[in-house]
Amino acid sequence: MTASPPPSPRLPTAPRVDEVACAATVARLRAHREPRVLVVGNPNTGKSTLINAVAGTHLKVGNWSGVTVEKREAHLKRGEQTIHLLDLPGAYSLSPHTPEELITRTALLDEAPDVLLNVVDAGNLERNLYLTLQLLEFRVPLTIALNLVDEARNKGLEVDAGALSAQLGVPVVETVGVKSLGTAGLLDATLSGAQVGAVLRYPDAIEAAAAELEGRMVNLSTLPPHAHRYLALSLLEGDPSLRGRLSATGHTDLLDAADAHRAALELAGLDPLIEIAEARYARAGEIARLAVPQAELKLTLTEKLDKLALHPWLGIPIFLALVLTVFRLTFTVAAPFVDLIGGPLQDVASGWAAGLLGWAPLLKDIVVGAIIPGVGTVLSFLPTLLVLYLAMSFLEDSGYMARAAFLADRSMRGLGLDGRAFIPLILGFGCNVPAVYATRTLERKSDRVLVSMILPFMSCSARLPVYVIFSAALFPHAGAWIVWSMYVLGMAVAFAFAWVLRKTSLPAEGSGVLLELPPYRFPAWKVMWTHAARRTASFAKRARTTVLATVAVVWVLLSIPAVSGQAFGEVAPAQSLFGRVSQAISPVFAPLGFGNWQATGALVPGFIAKEVVVGTLGQIYLGEEAKRAAPLGFAQGVEQTALATWNAVKTSVQALPTLIALPSFGADSSAEQKTPLAAALARAFTPAAGLAYLVFVLLYTPCVATIGAMQAEHGRRVAWLTVAYEMGIAWVAGLIVYQIARHFL
Amino acid sequence: MIGFMGDVTLDTLKPGAAAHVVALDARHPLRRRLLELGFIRGARVEVMRFAPLGDPVHLRLGRTDLALRAADLHGVTVRAVQGGV
Repeated sequence: MTASPPPSPRLPTAPRVDEVACAATVARLRAHREPRVLVVGNPNTGKSTLINAVAGTHLKVGNWSGVTVEKREAHLKRGEQTIHLLDLPGAYSLSPHTPEELITRTALLDEAPDVLLNVVDAGNLERNLYLTLQLLEFRVPLTIALNLVDEARNKGLEVDAGALSAQLGVPVVETVGVKSLGTAGLLDATLSGAQVGAVLRYPDAIEAAAAELEGRMVNLSTLPPHAHRYLALSLLEGDPSLRGRLSATGHTDLLDAADAHRAALELAGLDPLIEIAEARYARAGEIARLAVPQAELKLTLTEKLDKLALHPWLGIPIFLALVLTVFRLTFTVAAPFVDLIGGPLQDVASGWAAGLLGWAPLLKDIVVGAIIPGVGTVLSFLPTLLVLYLAMSFLEDSGYMARAAFLADRSMRGLGLDGRAFIPLILGFGCNVPAVYATRTLERKSDRVLVSMILPFMSCSARLPVYVIFSAALFPHAGAWIVWSMYVLGMAVAFAFAWVLRKTSLPAEGSGVLLELPPYRFPAWKVMWTHAARRTASFAKRARTTVLATVAVVWVLLSIPAVSGQAFGEVAPAQSLFGRVSQAISPVFAPLGFGNWQATGALVPGFIAKEVVVGTLGQIYLGEEAKRAAPLGFAQGVEQTALATWNAVKTSVQALPTLIALPSFGADSSAEQKTPLAAALARAFTPAAGLAYLVFVLLYTPCVATIGAMQAEHGRRVAWLTVAYEMGIAWVAGLIVYQIARHFL
Repeated sequence: MIGFMGDVTLDTLKPGAAAHVVALDARHPLRRRLLELGFIRGARVEVMRFAPLGDPVHLRLGRTDLALRAADLHGVTVRAVQGGV
């Protein structure tokens, strides 16, 4: 596809473009060694897919400093030039409403853009042009990527790129990001053709006020010249976040002047906010009518799908079925790989380490006892995370996520949340870690924190093994009910805790909920895969330190003898410092019915990952040797690894057909019924104590991986406050359950 | 804005009804955002459906599909399109 040549701007209103200055900018750009290209566009315009196609593997994704908004940038070589591409978060307008939009506005002011690349959805020209017209107020050359032209065509909309270009005075390149159409020439067009486009003229009174404010800015070196007109207009609109920024930088005179103008305009019966919005839409509508010949609109696939997905009766069942499918995916497809990493692979690694480090017993113990299990724990999260992140990307990129929020909105209202909060909570049942990241879809900071704090009460899949073994031991005939009641209890506690937080420390800010229901799109596999893989990898990177440190601490505690005459690393758990510490803590749990050191001790490693509780209980009650790794030859190890990997792949693939079958709770518990651990637990716990123990395990703390995620998203304080609160809640809940249940069970 | 007999608030429309925007309440919490998305005088808005639990409301504004709560629609005054689709 070709770029329409930028004709000299046809200006329906008095031109303000200084042609000389404009030509100078373009010349500067061509000579510029490292031009900075800022990519801006509405949400749901396929912008990230397009940028992925343009930048490919050069795209680096990080975080904007101080906030948890993704920063996507690339350095691209093009002959002599290095192009710095910065893909800004999606924005409906430049008066920010979300943290993402604030980033976009701030970058436009502070990142010294040399050229702007505006991604526009060809199927929704009018609304997208609102942002375009705002961008043109920046005196920076701009190029438009007219994206999703194929989708628009299917709707019956044929956009005339030439007409669009003529109207706006900037080049327009047609693209289809998913198919990489038009992407090859996009950067060339952006760098060589970009123009400072035609500026929209507002009613005279507004123009006069804006000109006066711009005049005041000339001598203020802190305000970037390219943004003067945008700043003046935003001040007249009364943009609250801009006021904050300017008053913080000491521009009170400017703000006072803007206020005076606003007051005068309002006195004259003009609300600048409305006047400006109406002028932009009038122009956007005019351009859209000229660029898109009237067409017969077809009933789109989106409308057909919405009839089903948002159906009064079928909508919610379909939603629940989809959620169920996602979880079954994690259980059936990811679980065999989780077991592979936690079991055979770890054994092989331990065996090799034992063989290689035979000459240094202490080093061997550290590697086998702390490092390998620590790394193994982090790695064993990865299959689950990858599957959940893939599912999340699919639901997000396909447009279904917005529908889910629409369906669930009513149920979240009691907590001052909107439907979007439902997604992280649901994901929490799979794994709390991706759920914490999913809170990013919420607009308000307090909502993100609130949802993250209640998330750990959603019973993640790692807690299931604990329920299963205890049900088998103590409630062999009611296993399914016990498991089910744990999930329900977790949700009930989550909602109660949220209610309390709302009343005390995190009141709902603002009100009003607005969701866009974007057209359904089939997500590009490559984009989905890179999203999911990147999120998973970033987890591994950050969890590594936290998890390793925790594992090391537990290992040291287990290795230090608490009685004389024993060597470091040679003690039984009961005689280790760990055993002693557990003993010291255990009276705290006496009112909950499980005040013995074994039960208490098993809770500590559960902090690393909940399923470890079961392993530790086995170790303590059955006196199982804490994996004494026998040295393993290289060839043997390779053979074991290959075999175990093959088995995992086979199990995973074989499980796929069962995805369509209905889940059967409790089937697993009967299989475990006869294990020696279950028998030992039946002797050690009364049913009431066992129930209290399960309640405690359900509620007591997020695992370290989740704590790490919370720390990354919301800071140390929120993460550790959550741990403290949840410890307290778990204890009280355990106490209540035990004190009631012991009279009945 | 001068009142008009046929003017109603947007939350009173039933699915299938279409209307033109007359005014936004000056104190509407989403006023700025709604204006930017196109809730300006004369814009045509159509009620597509209610969510299964009764709220929010699925609207179509121009070529954009939006979901808003009935409470937030109360601050939007509209004039019904006669015999609207």
